[in-house]
Amino acid sequence: MALQMLITSLAMGIVYGMVAMGMVLIWRAVGVINFAQGEFLMVGAFVSYTLAEQLGIPMSIALVACAVIMGIVGVIFHFITYWPLRKSWDITVIISTIGASIALKEAATLIWGPAPLSIDPLVDGVARFSTVSIEWQFIVTIGVSAVLMAGIFYLLERTYLGHILQATAQDQYAAALIGIPVVVATGMTFAISALIAGVGGMLLAPVFFVTSTMGGITGLKAFAAVVIGGFGSVQGAIIGGLIVGMVDTFSGAYVSSTYRDAIVFMFLVVVLVIRPQGIFGEKIAEKV
Amino acid sequence: MITKNKSTRIILLIVALALAALLPYATSNYMLRVLNMMFINYICVLSMFVIFGMTGQMSFAQAGYWGLGAYITAILTTKFHVAPLLALVGSALGTAVFVLLVGLALFRLHGHYFGFASIGVVMTMNGIFQNWTPVTGGANGMGNIPQFGIGGWECNSDMSYFYLLLFVVVAISLITELIHRSSLGRSFMAIRDNEIAAKCMGVNSYFTKNVAYVISGIYCGIAGSLFAFLSSYISATSFIFPQSVMYLVMLMLGGYNSIAGPIIGTTLLALLPEWFRPLQEYILLVYGLGVILLMVVMPDGLIGGGKKIYEHICKRSGGGTGKNQTSNGVG
Repeated sequence: MALQMLITSLAMGIVYGMVAMGMVLIWRAVGVINFAQGEFLMVGAFVSYTLAEQLGIPMSIALVACAVIMGIVGVIFHFITYWPLRKSWDITVIISTIGASIALKEAATLIWGPAPLSIDPLVDGVARFSTVSIEWQFIVTIGVSAVLMAGIFYLLERTYLGHILQATAQDQYAAALIGIPVVVATGMTFAISALIAGVGGMLLAPVFFVTSTMGGITGLKAFAAVVIGGFGSVQGAIIGGLIVGMVDTFSGAYVSSTYRDAIVFMFLVVVLVIRPQGIFGEKIAEKV
Repeated sequence: MITKNKSTRIILLIVALALAALLPYATSNYMLRVLNMMFINYICVLSMFVIFGMTGQMSFAQAGYWGLGAYITAILTTKFHVAPLLALVGSALGTAVFVLLVGLALFRLHGHYFGFASIGVVMTMNGIFQNWTPVTGGANGMGNIPQFGIGGWECNSDMSYFYLLLFVVVAISLITELIHRSSLGRSFMAIRDNEIAAKCMGVNSYFTKNVAYVISGIYCGIAGSLFAFLSSYISATSFIFPQSVMYLVMLMLGGYNSIAGPIIGTTLLALLPEWFRPLQEYILLVYGLGVILLMVVMPDGLIGGGKKIYEHICKRSGGGTGKNQTSNGVG
């Protein structure tokens, strides 16, 4: 029972971690909190519904196709909400991502209808380890997410392209001076960010029903994960996601299923009060 | 904005108030209800103006405080049969105390982190409203809240609520404007513009931020109490995080630099859905895209953008004789 729940919480946590990682990448690249990150997850879930259920594409190909489509969504999102506002106060960009999240939600309702949709799991059936039985879906979720996150980590830390992205994140002006096309780099960051959140949505879709509101609460929990992990740290976002997943699942099972969401956010407030910079955050220096 | 003359301003204000007072006679009952709701939202947007527009602390918890005010009134009037006016005062004080406790804990955080924590606060509060059934009625909400009244006089129609809300709104607007111009308001704005510089000038930023937060909490408590009386039924689904986001959007659309911003932002977002009713299911999509478009075109809100356009026109037309020479070279 406990092991089963541990696997469930890991699967949920790793999806929160993926959405959180997307948020952190955007934060590091352009210094803006993206309030539409949860909506990327929702769009990813709907796209995977169209690909797998309506067009009947095999799951493994659908996964790749979904990732590509979400990358394109991320680039479009970048050019509508961030690029025209790159020189103004960061709050205006936040408001514009809030507007985008409303628009994405409504667009999804208009395209796919208001009724909740269900998707077949990527891999059917249950895995048995002596006495415990675990749904394959959760194991696949953990596996795919881990591989994807490791891939992005490798891309950022070890490749030339990753260095370009990081250089732009550190100082856009200096990056432009040494000949990095800033618009390509920021657009690419948004694409990666939308891609991981969208794949997270595809992995989460068979567990829950797909609705246009599924992004809201997941996005906020991912946000809690970012803050708990320490703002700006990719590792922190993943660890924070796992912590939020565990608090979420175990408080739902052992404390109270009704107060589940409240406990997660209470936990966020308590962590912030005890350790204001999050777990992996650097000490905040006050700049003059 | 346009008239710098003080007496002209006062006359304009009186004319606007008189027009507003006559409004109920010119509109339908439905429109009156929309306007009443707009007033409630306006008070909450003003609370956002105090804490975010003036002090620069992004608080997403305002909808939660609004809900707290509503629940305090609902509990006091239905379970303890307290007089409506006392319940209103109780809501304001209760919310103020709660906001003070939150502020004391959370203003140890700096910059964006305070905003993050306030999201946690509003989500927790909503969870409690939704699930603490013995006290808040849980998912069923609370009904049978009596009408507002003072002594023998009772608010029993939409029109009487309109005048009550108009009075409260004008009073709170005046108080806000007074704060805006006082030394307290200037210390708020000093913290917004540069907290360290403000500290160097002798502003106790932790204390001052808490004062601003408590003021905004009182506004929310009053708005919540009036909302409970107005709708006579409240449920947790009203007091949600997206509601706080809407207050922020209203403030940013209007402009966060002067009190005219909240007025314009709230009026616009309250009335636009009524004007665009034919769009039906597309309305929220248009709203979302409209918010992006407005931020792209006018990052300082309508007031800031309007000011810029006005200055631009002044420059183009030359204005006075002295300015003519400079503008000749440009245009």
